[in-house]
Amino acid sequence: MFGIVDTLLFHSTVSAVTPILLAALAGLLCERAGIFTIAQEGLMLASAFAAVAGSWFLGGAEVGVAVAVLAGVAMAGILAGGGVWLGGDTIVLGIGINLLADGLSTFLLRQLFDQQGVFNDPALEGLNPIRLPGIERLPGIGPVLSDHSWIDYLSWLLVALATLFLFRTPWGLRLRGVGEQPDAAATLGVSVRRYRTLAVLASGALCGLAGAQLSLGSVTLFAEGMSAGRGWIAVVAVMLGRAHPLGVLGASLLFGLTDAIGLRLQGLGLPNQLTDAAPYVITLIALILAVRRRPVA
Amino acid sequence: MTKLFGVLCVSVTALSTAALADEFKPAVVYDVAGIADKSFNQSVYEATKKFTKETGIKVHNQETTNQSQFEQFHHDLAAKGFNPIIGVGFAEADAVKKASTEFPKTKFAIIDMVVDTPNTESIVFKEQEGSFLVGILAALKSKTGTVGFVGGMDIPLIRRFECGYALGAKFANPNIKVLMNMTGTTPAAWSDPVKGGELAKSQMEQGADVIYAAAGGTGTGVLQAAADAGKFAIGVDSDQNYLQPGHILTSMVKHVDLAALKVFNDAKNGTWKPGISVLGVAQGGVEPAFDQYNEKLVTPAMRAKVKEAKEAIVSGKIQVHDYMADNACPA
Repeated sequence: MFGIVDTLLFHSTVSAVTPILLAALAGLLCERAGIFTIAQEGLMLASAFAAVAGSWFLGGAEVGVAVAVLAGVAMAGILAGGGVWLGGDTIVLGIGINLLADGLSTFLLRQLFDQQGVFNDPALEGLNPIRLPGIERLPGIGPVLSDHSWIDYLSWLLVALATLFLFRTPWGLRLRGVGEQPDAAATLGVSVRRYRTLAVLASGALCGLAGAQLSLGSVTLFAEGMSAGRGWIAVVAVMLGRAHPLGVLGASLLFGLTDAIGLRLQGLGLPNQLTDAAPYVITLIALILAVRRRPVA
Repeated sequence: MTKLFGVLCVSVTALSTAALADEFKPAVVYDVAGIADKSFNQSVYEATKKFTKETGIKVHNQETTNQSQFEQFHHDLAAKGFNPIIGVGFAEADAVKKASTEFPKTKFAIIDMVVDTPNTESIVFKEQEGSFLVGILAALKSKTGTVGFVGGMDIPLIRRFECGYALGAKFANPNIKVLMNMTGTTPAAWSDPVKGGELAKSQMEQGADVIYAAAGGTGTGVLQAAADAGKFAIGVDSDQNYLQPGHILTSMVKHVDLAALKVFNDAKNGTWKPGISVLGVAQGGVEPAFDQYNEKLVTPAMRAKVKEAKEAIVSGKIQVHDYMADNACPA
């Protein structure tokens, strides 16, 4: 099709989608527990920094990922403490976390690395892409699926795990209960606060993975503000996917694919402003179609 | 006693004011990217250090963290008697315009933008000429016959880089294919190395083996993606050859350091003039960087071709089209 769609397009889509998908799964967990969060952007940025710091100072990309996850959980602790235990407004807390992450990562970049703007060094260890020997040779989808970082693979697995957890386990049922009818859940002896806290902390861990994928997977460097709006797209992906893991996966893929197609269209001489708008136009269309199918409550 | 003290105070104040007026107090207001951005701001910062070393005159280096501070700093520095004051980058144009109108006796300079006030020197570069030269190098280095360009935000200035590059590549090899991408249409496009890396990968998948990045912080992702894939990238603004040794073919250097030094020295020697200073290949304002990091990548034949083109540009035999002159590119 005009040389726009090929396996390479899908390959780059898949890796571009991972951070959005992980952050959207994070938002979904909170949403299901009855917490509307917009902190993904900040959690991701802070974790991206933590991943680079961990890899650089403690040695090794895997250590970096672990540090990123810890940082994500710690930052999410602010949301859990303020939103779940002290009854604060989660939107306000989210804005606070996003601003904090922006300032803190910039500040620490100067303090720890004595750098401004960007830190990159050939000695900084990143995540290596993993080849899947059997799958690689499959015609068509083989090259699309192989040659990604382990966080990419894990993110697909997490979609399946989240689906099973939410709809096939008693804990998932309780989590949904906490989100939909907190009073009823509390009457049945379910600790609303505990479930919500755990959901928020787990979302921090997911954003931690997303941040690590950005700074150690996609590239091996940290740049100020490198989350570049992906957390906000994740917020929208949760809404568009109606807080269902498969829906969220679909929404994330839609964003990634339209973005990748947009870039290819640039090569055909279409105005940049138009191709830049493509993901959002397609999202609007998808949103309208999704709403039309749902009967008005 | 009180009277005497009062007289003393007055005379001390008078003395210090007199000293202030005579003192040469240059200042620089940096862009938000900061003095260690491995690019533009850093080059100017190095120039101020050099100036201080050579003359013993201190330069006030004003860092900023937010674009809204530009106006305040230019105003405050001028009010405090700093002179000359350099604004680094086009984002400071409005602030320089306001401050230079308000302080007509202070000498201002702005880099990369034209501010039309009687006490401002506007220093602009012929990026198309420097880009033309690195385009030649890219085309000669490419084995696949395809080279790439990744721009930051889609603005005419970056199109000027792109157009010069494409013209240079086609000058060296008329059959070359030039892939071009802009990262975005908002300022966020300057600081998204992840997307820069993705763009570079997608261009390499389409056959590009040399990619020129004119995209600020986004460019670091481009350079890295090219190096990871064993391909070549071209840096921009300052000499970035050292960032990925062996994989940065060259960098299109804009000598903002020389420009800043000239402003200081001219102002100091009383030879400073307001107006527009255009720095091209002929003035040594733009050029491809050759150093120990890329000496093995550039063959003598490539160097010779660049030298030949350089001379042709200086003599006027080659006139590299400026995208900003008519918002179109003949390449």
